[in-house]
Amino acid sequence: MWQVLRDLLRYNREFAVGVFLLSFVILIAALSFLAPHSPLDSYVVPPDLPPGWPYVLGTNSRGQDVFWQLTCAIRNTLLFGFAVALISRVLSLVIGLIAGYAGGWVDRALMSVNDTFIVIPLFPILVLFYFVMRDRMSWMTLALAMAFLGWSYDARLIRSVALSLRAREFTETSIFSGMSMRQILIQEHLPYVLPIVFSTTMNNINWSIGLEVTLSVLGFTDINTPTIGVMIYWANQHTALVAGIWWWIFFPVALVVVTFIGLFLLAVSMNEYIDPRSRLGRVGA
Amino acid sequence: MTSYSGYMLRRFGQFVLVVFIGINLAFLITHLTPIDPIEQTISAATSFGSTSPEAIAMMRQALRELYGLEGGLWQQYAAFWKRIAVGDFGPSLSAFPTPVSDLIWRALPWTVGLLSVSTLLTWCLGNLLGGLAGYFQKSSMLRFAGVLAMGFHPIPYYITAFVLLIVFGYLWPVLPITGGYRMSMPRGFNVDFILSVAQHSILPVLSLMIVGLGGWFMGMRALVSNIVSEDYVQYAELGGVARRRILTSYIMRNALLPQVTGLAMSLGAIFNGAIITEQVFGYPGIGTLLVSAVHAGDYSLVLGLTTVSIIAVSAAVLLIDLLYPLLDPRVKVR
Amino acid sequence: MSEGAAPAPVLTVTALRAYYQTRLFGIDRDVRAVDNVTLHVNANEIYGLAGESSCGKTTLIKTIAGAIRPPLKVQGGSVEFNFHGRRVSLYDKNAPDLADIRWRHLSYIMQGSMSVLNPLRRVRNSFVDFAFRHIHKPMAEFLDTVRAHLLRLHLQPEVLDAYPHELSGGMRQRVAIALATVCRPEFIIADEPTTALDVIVQKGVLTMIREVQREIGSSLIFVTHDMAVHANLCDRLGVMYAGRLVEEGPTAEILREPRHPYTAHLIASLPRIGDVAPKKALEGTPPSLADPPLGCRFHPRCPLAMDICKRENPQMEWVGPVHRVACFAAQPGKRQ
Repeated sequence: MWQVLRDLLRYNREFAVGVFLLSFVILIAALSFLAPHSPLDSYVVPPDLPPGWPYVLGTNSRGQDVFWQLTCAIRNTLLFGFAVALISRVLSLVIGLIAGYAGGWVDRALMSVNDTFIVIPLFPILVLFYFVMRDRMSWMTLALAMAFLGWSYDARLIRSVALSLRAREFTETSIFSGMSMRQILIQEHLPYVLPIVFSTTMNNINWSIGLEVTLSVLGFTDINTPTIGVMIYWANQHTALVAGIWWWIFFPVALVVVTFIGLFLLAVSMNEYIDPRSRLGRVGA
Repeated sequence: MTSYSGYMLRRFGQFVLVVFIGINLAFLITHLTPIDPIEQTISAATSFGSTSPEAIAMMRQALRELYGLEGGLWQQYAAFWKRIAVGDFGPSLSAFPTPVSDLIWRALPWTVGLLSVSTLLTWCLGNLLGGLAGYFQKSSMLRFAGVLAMGFHPIPYYITAFVLLIVFGYLWPVLPITGGYRMSMPRGFNVDFILSVAQHSILPVLSLMIVGLGGWFMGMRALVSNIVSEDYVQYAELGGVARRRILTSYIMRNALLPQVTGLAMSLGAIFNGAIITEQVFGYPGIGTLLVSAVHAGDYSLVLGLTTVSIIAVSAAVLLIDLLYPLLDPRVKVR
Repeated sequence: MSEGAAPAPVLTVTALRAYYQTRLFGIDRDVRAVDNVTLHVNANEIYGLAGESSCGKTTLIKTIAGAIRPPLKVQGGSVEFNFHGRRVSLYDKNAPDLADIRWRHLSYIMQGSMSVLNPLRRVRNSFVDFAFRHIHKPMAEFLDTVRAHLLRLHLQPEVLDAYPHELSGGMRQRVAIALATVCRPEFIIADEPTTALDVIVQKGVLTMIREVQREIGSSLIFVTHDMAVHANLCDRLGVMYAGRLVEEGPTAEILREPRHPYTAHLIASLPRIGDVAPKKALEGTPPSLADPPLGCRFHPRCPLAMDICKRENPQMEWVGPVHRVACFAAQPGKRQ
């Protein structure tokens, strides 16, 4: 395991860059615990100061230090993405493994539902959800809603792997040795799909952060929990760009873009590591 | 031929299922949440200005009808479907008493136009470049394009649109950043108006393309670099078949099939992107309408837009599915 | 070369070496799939190439066909064709463009012909893609030529309108053979063309291959691991083990009196009518070609292994007028 990571770091440029970018983002997020003020407090510093000393990234029109605000926002954004990914992973694993293992009509039924969730435009549904929930919309309800809507693509992927595992001999052996379906899925098949789950996790975090930022910027979330999207929302509310307070917008956008690229590179390089076909391509180089 | 109609039937069944599950989701969200949507809506709709008590009473009545709050849950459910079946979502609350369906019909062509133009452009360009990159793996220009695609692909629609807005709105203001056409201009079918529409669509289309290109590019590149080692490609090379022919009819043609399926699969996500992009550029389509409906607390409009979105996207997916057998002769057997 | 006055061979392979070069996580590896192979194929001859899977047969064939793509690389040696006096050397510095030679002079029947036809193109278009530029006729006449060729091979011309998936496996293989022979090439490479077919269809396809080879008088190199097929089809036989040619001679002579212990084993595993003795499996597995054993590559599994086999690499030496073998035990005078 460690050796694989070391080799990836040394010989896979995408992986190395991804790890570097993400470490940087996580470091920023970790700094939030040293923040001198609560991110919710406003008018604790002089407003509208450009980047400089002691306010490295400047201050915003609400009298908050952009740097400390940013550390807290990226922490919440990352946590959010992670929560959504975690919950939806469980769903897609259960559904994918069962569909692939059971086959037949179970598979067809589950995949029909699965394809439905792939096709349905989720954004209007999330907007409708916010519209009904309004002020009761919290960080956690949104995470739950998105996890419930965002498992389908990866379930299909996991199912295709499970389908091929089902056809392998060791599955037959396990059945004849009297293991139950639950045992086979957890003990025998799960280890095979975990690498794929890891790479889809990265993509899923990206997806959920992207949607969260979008919803928050429009004000369709709990705007009192600072996230990257909420930060941009407030900046827009104060027409920061027109007022020339570009640092209020630029730094959160830049940081979230770095996050996206980092996660994406990790997912891509993991995929390449997992998929023997593209690995063969690499061998030729 | 029977298996072909079997395929059609299955696809149509999937379409019905998507609409069914989507609408049920909308019903569940609106009916099983612990909040009284009527009072919620009225307070939101009236909080922006003074509304006469008569109008509020009419609203309450309209909402009651829309929810079908009389009767038990099953009756409400039946009433809900009936409204959707006849396409009547009642009057809009923010633009009272214009029917919601009128508003949607007015906005829909803009979204359909934006979406189809940008999606077609993105899909064709991404597949062409990705296919070439997969075939000519040594080309440094295409490698660079690959790095660009990788860099832009993971950035969500909103951020990309927003950055374009900043660049062309504040830093280098050469393109219109808001609206679907010049406001002062009368709408009509003439060169000036069409030019204005085209000009206004540049930025929305561009931002949708920037985000979308990478996915098709990388997908096609991977597909092509796998197909290159397929037996029939190697055989054609051994047979001295012309290189152009191999690239087009043997490699690209076969690699396009999964990309068509992929297009059907990602239409929902692309639609999300279009909605968001519209909102950023104030484009007069479904997306802008949806966001302003939420801000105005227009329940019937939000519900109508959600329903129409679900039906429209799944209809587009159905269209692609039904065209697919024209591209792949094997569907008839499968 | 042993031939003096005999007509020049159609194919001459000399000291050919082709390696797979891989580089994974910074470690270079050479897989010596074809190591120092010398052979020739005469005009109007069917030359069989035998050996277990992954012994280098397919790589040798690819190299002969000029189908080299990374990571495979030709390290040395030469492959030379002689098409009625037109000499073509594949791995020369000034090697010609192969495109106008392919199919006209040199064609190929591939392993797993199920998938050699483009699934999205009608059979007719495949014929046009492969053969049209070699048969200098207008399209209508060209298609007549193709139809006549199909009829000669007992195929209905209607297959031209079909997509590959609409044909059965045996049918597809027949179409592939028709495609490979429509330009009447001098040299045909057949790589396991019958492996995936069931026995009855196999027989029909083999008969067809022999008929068409006789009819157009071409040379054929035929690769399979199935010794029974070789026994029925080939004039001469070459046996490969771990990337090297270990024995070569007339098929009948080899079957009657194999000199290499590995060939003997391959032949012993053939079922014979009335044979009741249990088949003996060879112990061990073929060596890794990335790290082959020193000396004779067969020695770890060889029942006759001697000391010298572990140190020195036996060369191909003549043990009959047209019979060569690379084995110390079979070469008189080399015993120790």
